[in-house]
Amino acid sequence: MAKLKIQDIEKIAKHEVEKAAKYKGMIMVCTGTGCVSANGFNILNKMKEVIKKKKLSNEYLVIGTGCMGFCAMGPIAVFQPEGTFYQKIKEEDVEELIESHIINSKPLERLLHRDPITDKVNEKIEDIKFFSKQQLIALRNKGSIDPENIDHYIAYDGYKALKDVVIKNDPDSVIKEIISSGIRGRGGGGFPTGIKWESGKKAAKERDEVIYVICNADEGDPGAFMDRSIIETDPHTVIEGMLIGAYAVGATEGIIYIRKEYPLALNRLKIALKQASEYGLLGKNILGTDFNFTIHIHRGAGAFVCGESSALMASISGRAGEPRAKYVHNVEYGFRNKPTILNNVETWANIPVIINRGSKWFSSIGTGDVSKNPWNGSSGTKVFSLVGDINNTGLVEIPMGITLREIIEEIGGGIPNGRKFKAVQTGGPSGGCIPAEKLDTIVDFDSLSEAGSMMGSGGMIVMDDKTCMVDIARYFINFLMDESCGKCTPCREGLFSLNNILKRISEGNGKESDIELLEEICETIKETSLCQLGSSAPNPVLSTLKYFKKEYEEHIIEKKCRAGICKPLIVYSINNQCTGCTLCARNCPVNAIEGKAKEIHVIDSEKCIKCGICAEICKYDAVEVK
Amino acid sequence: MAVEKIKILVDNKEVEVVKNSYLLQVLQKEGIEIPTLCHHKDLTPNGTCRLCIVEIEKNNKKKLVTSCNYPVSESIKVETKCQKVIKHRKNLMEMYLGRWPNVPIIQQLAKKCGASDKEKYKSELTDENPKACVLCGHCVKACEEFIQEKIIDFAGRGIKRHITMPFGEVDPHCIGCTSCAFVCPTGAIEIIDDMNHPVDAEMIRNYGMKINAEMATLDKNQCRMREVGTANIVDVMDAYDLLPVMNYRYGSHKDTWKTDSKMLKKKYFTQDTPDGCWKGCSMACAKAVDNFELKTGPYKGDKVVVDGPEYETAAGCTNMGCFDPEFAIEFNFYCDTYGVDTISVATCMAFVMEAYEAGCIKKEHTGGKELKFGASAEVLECLHEMARGKGFGVDVGHGIRWLKNKWIKEYNADAQFLQDIGMEVKGLEFSEYVCKESLAQQAGYSMAIKGPQHDEAWLIFMDMVNNQIPTFEDKAEALHYYPLWRTWFGLHGLCKLLWNDVVPLSNKKYKPQVAAKVPEHVEDFFKFYEGMTGKPLDEEGMLNQSARVYNLQRVMSVMLGYGTRKDDIPPYRAMGPVTKEEFESRAEKYYDKQIKDIFDINPEEKSIEEKMKMIRKHREDQYQRVLDATYKRRGWTKNGIPKIERLKQLGIDLPEIVDIVKDMQ
Repeated sequence: MAKLKIQDIEKIAKHEVEKAAKYKGMIMVCTGTGCVSANGFNILNKMKEVIKKKKLSNEYLVIGTGCMGFCAMGPIAVFQPEGTFYQKIKEEDVEELIESHIINSKPLERLLHRDPITDKVNEKIEDIKFFSKQQLIALRNKGSIDPENIDHYIAYDGYKALKDVVIKNDPDSVIKEIISSGIRGRGGGGFPTGIKWESGKKAAKERDEVIYVICNADEGDPGAFMDRSIIETDPHTVIEGMLIGAYAVGATEGIIYIRKEYPLALNRLKIALKQASEYGLLGKNILGTDFNFTIHIHRGAGAFVCGESSALMASISGRAGEPRAKYVHNVEYGFRNKPTILNNVETWANIPVIINRGSKWFSSIGTGDVSKNPWNGSSGTKVFSLVGDINNTGLVEIPMGITLREIIEEIGGGIPNGRKFKAVQTGGPSGGCIPAEKLDTIVDFDSLSEAGSMMGSGGMIVMDDKTCMVDIARYFINFLMDESCGKCTPCREGLFSLNNILKRISEGNGKESDIELLEEICETIKETSLCQLGSSAPNPVLSTLKYFKKEYEEHIIEKKCRAGICKPLIVYSINNQCTGCTLCARNCPVNAIEGKAKEIHVIDSEKCIKCGICAEICKYDAVEVK
Repeated sequence: MAVEKIKILVDNKEVEVVKNSYLLQVLQKEGIEIPTLCHHKDLTPNGTCRLCIVEIEKNNKKKLVTSCNYPVSESIKVETKCQKVIKHRKNLMEMYLGRWPNVPIIQQLAKKCGASDKEKYKSELTDENPKACVLCGHCVKACEEFIQEKIIDFAGRGIKRHITMPFGEVDPHCIGCTSCAFVCPTGAIEIIDDMNHPVDAEMIRNYGMKINAEMATLDKNQCRMREVGTANIVDVMDAYDLLPVMNYRYGSHKDTWKTDSKMLKKKYFTQDTPDGCWKGCSMACAKAVDNFELKTGPYKGDKVVVDGPEYETAAGCTNMGCFDPEFAIEFNFYCDTYGVDTISVATCMAFVMEAYEAGCIKKEHTGGKELKFGASAEVLECLHEMARGKGFGVDVGHGIRWLKNKWIKEYNADAQFLQDIGMEVKGLEFSEYVCKESLAQQAGYSMAIKGPQHDEAWLIFMDMVNNQIPTFEDKAEALHYYPLWRTWFGLHGLCKLLWNDVVPLSNKKYKPQVAAKVPEHVEDFFKFYEGMTGKPLDEEGMLNQSARVYNLQRVMSVMLGYGTRKDDIPPYRAMGPVTKEEFESRAEKYYDKQIKDIFDINPEEKSIEEKMKMIRKHREDQYQRVLDATYKRRGWTKNGIPKIERLKQLGIDLPEIVDIVKDMQ
């Protein structure tokens, strides 16, 4: 493939648009990890096969896209140009779907989306609240392009921003633009990106050193998949972001640190890097200018702590992934002790759009006036992975400043099975739990911190009233204890101790002094840990203690778990609604249920292992948990 | 670089500190006791135990920082004893007590921090062993920073963190340097065997670790031997006008930066790997260039590892007027590969180049090669010819003395000129220092038994830069002591670089003449000797050990015809300016000044030729006087022959030895 010159970008875009215009329609099949795990690739192949069989290949194009975000409904396909959204497609549905939608021009109703609250059928994608409330920047190309085709990216203004900055030939103005956009790091820290670039460039200049740019794709929070989806959906936006960053700060070498557990993202990234190199968008003399930049991939081995910037750089250098004190910043002494700019995947993905649409436009989205000082607010959008006890599980990109309630109740479609919302955990494992009374908290860096949680990288786990907050705290502390690198004493010894205390509380062995002890340990960990992961690690305990102290007290004093989760604290019994159908007795794995047919059954609490099968299968709500 | 100082407030008291010094050091200097477990004075700060936390206030914001690794870069307020700090230290120490209740250092620190509750953090992980590892990390740091190895390290995340060798097995790469055991505060690492069975291993270890610690802490601010090896001297010599440029005519050059240690480090030297003569050397100053693609010769196109370039090689290249580091590396590689010495080849080629430029030899003599200064491709070609045994390179291979004879005899070249510029004594080419302005160095080179090399008496700085040995007697004393001291290293198979290429901070307290000996390090070496053999050693004993060998060597030189006064005289280029340009380049700094000071003549009244003559006369005369003084100090005759009474005194008056010198007394 020939190396591109500046004018070629526009030519390719034009050519692609013309090519697409020849088709009557396009079928966009989601091949993000969520849909793929639900048979997405086979759906894609089947679509292609049926289109071919029906001799529609010249009129309809089938494209495998990246993640569209609505993972709960996968596999998904969108028929364009109508924008008809089909969900939960099975292989055997494909023929009927094409027959109905294309040949008979009649949407196949049984595969259309239904609103979980109103049960209204939504034909068009824009009618679905999950989509309509979102505002897309980082995920702007989701569902529109084939992530494995660089020309598709270029058709949607891809590499236009890069082209514009190299034409302008004023790297410092790029930094200024990024600063005035107000964008703050999407990886969790919320540090203004442009200021980071500026200080790195200054350090490199002062010391006459090389400077590196790194993309942090080591997404390790349980339940979070923003970065993975961005790479799977639109890898070139990350590459273009890095290119612009490298151009602005004067770097010639970049590294993407990606988890090994992301095979699909890794593969798409490799393809994208190869295509970009073939086009001369990476390598020497990019777009015929004297700008040189290469990107290497470094695969992480799965340690949570490697998402911390200094640990990540240690890991790239071949050392154990352990953080170092940040009294001297990475922008000055980072990878190989050289100035290093590290940004998260989502941050990089925003950069081309900021350049294309301008900092003014970007900063008009979100909270606060960031035009003078990025610390004054949170501009732009944020991608969240919305998971847990929520109807519309998936990936959402929302403008900063909307409330948690809007996200959960409108975009997320509320809590399933008619249960009540209890809390939402934001900011990953070391974020905090925000209760129902705080649901009107707006989503931006500072408001979430004030509420005792944090933005983090964008994990959002919704919990209903069957969630035990002590158990939740124990779960996260257990995760963090396992993932603590162990370098500093408070994180290593403190989390272990927190875990032991939470365990004994959930087992009914808690002491009255335990709450005070938890608070004491949390404070020491928070104040004295070496890195941010350590100092934020007590958040799950602190935030649940703040909003749900009563539940701790119930566990300790009354030996009661109101959510019925902490097994040692609960007892199963059968009430008089029992019809003696014997179903529970037959399914009990330890034969703890006795009773004759058509008579009320009894659970032997000595034998019962509290597995909950009886309660689950009883048709008469006769099994009670206390 | 000027040291910037800033003022900070420590517990409400104003303290002036050097910018960017670590806060803990500042606090300790102020006499404030800060508890710390993971900090070690000779290792870089770790910041893992968190005990040394203090509260700082900057920009009206308060936060806790670990003082051990917090660099003081601005005016801050520091609180070392506030409630918060005390509370967290106590809690941290309770965590330690819960895990390792019986380790003495933990108990001591707990007491200091007011922690006594052993039950609060007691768990299934509680280890009752009083010698348990407390994960302070000293051993890991010592392995890495003392001897630049990575034999032991932490493994396991979180609570599973522990110290181990790779894959949990005994690593055969561990050389048993015992650094880790030496720094371990709990005794968790034990030394079970001293393999060489020295008489007093403890003594050797104590003194050896001192040197390891100096290498780890001081070298980076002194000679940077670990970073760039001896190549650091290129920059220094250029700055002092002592770097040989174009056959020792000049002492510095505007292009030196192209090939100095900064450039070598930045573009060529492979960094971050220890590279020493032997595994375990804490200095490890050998440097290498990896993946170097050769441009000439039989290995053209191959990527090779080049051991070097070290100072003498790099300076040899500037001596040939070549300021291209890639040439230096290639030259280095082929000299090594062909088994010839970089110094001899470089000095010889520099001589050839000067002779060529002066017209003593012509193109037809060099096989058509235009051998001007800076002709790097031609130098390499000569080198390849030398190896092939064909062409002009073979002549070069015979050395300067041979070439002078041939050219005078066969080409009728200017004999006096060639004798003056041919930098050899006893048939060996000079090492790469411009010794013109240092009388002691001239003698140090020229009197050296095996010829003019720097291994015996490197006195140039002491004599010329620092003016520490002004009188003839002072010079003679130095020319007596240093060759013997350096011979002592050779006798014991020891490396001299650890003696004075890193010097202890305490060396400042000595007067210059004593400081040059680095007395503390001399003592360290005596202790190594004593630890190994069980016999104490002092200066006199050391000098006697060496003098026996040294005098024997001189007698052998006499026997071979290289051991008399005439063999200790250098060419004039080593003593002063041979050419006008040379004279002019340093006239102001040295020669005119001497004419004024010594002859009390206004230099402007004399022509250059007259002045050159006066200087030459004076310097040649001075040199003879140094020889006299030194022979006397060494117990040799005026002709440089060891006196029989000296041989007797040393107990080496064996008949066959006395036979050689008896007629020359």
